Amino acid sequence: MKKVTEHLEKLKGTPRKKHHSLIDEIHTEHRISKKTLFYIKEYGPKSNVPRTIIRESVLILLLASAVSSLGGFALERIKVTFISLMPLVVLLPALNDMIGDYGVIVSSRVSTMLHQGKMRKNWWLDKELRKLFLQILIIALITTVLSVLVAFFASKFSGYSTSIYTTLKIFFIAILDVLIIVNILFFTSLKAGWYLYKKEEDPNNFLIPITTSIADFGNMVLLWVLVRLLF
Amino acid sequence: MIHNMKKNSNKKINNLSVFDKNFKEILTSQLVSISGGLIAGIVLAVYTDKIFLIPGMLILLPGFLEMRGNISGSLASRISSGLFLGVIKTDKINTPLIRGNILASFLLAVLVSFALGTVTFLLNFLAFRIFTPEIIIIAIIAGCLANLVEIPLTLLTTLYIFKKGYDPNNIMGPFVTSTGDIISILSLLIALVIV
Repeated sequence: MKKVTEHLEKLKGTPRKKHHSLIDEIHTEHRISKKTLFYIKEYGPKSNVPRTIIRESVLILLLASAVSSLGGFALERIKVTFISLMPLVVLLPALNDMIGDYGVIVSSRVSTMLHQGKMRKNWWLDKELRKLFLQILIIALITTVLSVLVAFFASKFSGYSTSIYTTLKIFFIAILDVLIIVNILFFTSLKAGWYLYKKEEDPNNFLIPITTSIADFGNMVLLWVLVRLLF
Repeated sequence: MIHNMKKNSNKKINNLSVFDKNFKEILTSQLVSISGGLIAGIVLAVYTDKIFLIPGMLILLPGFLEMRGNISGSLASRISSGLFLGVIKTDKINTPLIRGNILASFLLAVLVSFALGTVTFLLNFLAFRIFTPEIIIIAIIAGCLANLVEIPLTLLTTLYIFKKGYDPNNIMGPFVTSTGDIISILSLLIALVIV
């Protein structure tokens, strides 16, 4: 037991970048999970915790923000029309959350299935993937309809009134927006996941940033297109 | 006849299997997530005249809302991993690892807020010829305010959930997105009043 502690102390005391081989050694010899050892390596006493976190996250965060800003830029161009449609303003944060979440769910499920060897190249032959696709579509429809109803109720309560024609158009915009983005996310995850897996990369590290960026940017641009077309 | 009936009932079960445990879990987390988004949207709609008075707010808003989820979501995930690995204890908050996480999350938020404000300012100026440097200050103040609330809230909730025997990984995602949206919109409003 003393040897394990000695080994762990050595791991803690080694500079952050220099002990990958020691992780393997301790893992094999003492059967300590590599995840635990990785955590000790990343955030041990010799590691500067804030610097490690900032260095590893800053680029992807800045990229994600830039993509979202570009999406917002599309909406800014139709600002006057957009803010006059109160239910769409109410819906905006919810739509963003919803679509981003579907990106994360689909990406992580596809990554897991790839690692488990459960995914085929022709996804439509795979029962589990077809089921996931159907589940996401049904849930997307239910949550969108509920969100639109709440948005209309809240808008009505704030004194907003509109014709039945505009109401139907807003319903149509929200549902079409979510359905199109969910489809794009699903097919992007499958194609990119398969490609990355074949290139011997871990899809987990790439799919979530890819799909969330597509979700954010796509949602804004699609809203811009649909509002411009219908109003 | 019996064979056909069995076949039909099997078909029905297969059709119904879409509505399984996963379906319920995703639907529940989505309902929690959109409820926060809708509350934030209602606040946004009520204060439309104030929030959208400054040009470029629609450019800033999506990135600002996303930043909360990205930073606090990662914080919750790192704390959860530490808790499961036994490196972080629920009764010991004042440790170098937790202090480091809090500091990193806060600095990242300030940095990303500044970047968002700058991108908004530049897009505003280049595309619409509108000069609004105050949007950078609004972004930074709102980012700081939102994080002063969101980071401790995320940390304490993660620790509390783990202490109660639940897996924070399943709960913190929807929690962070829903509370993050509301806190972000309110912080933006306060920043607008200050500036």
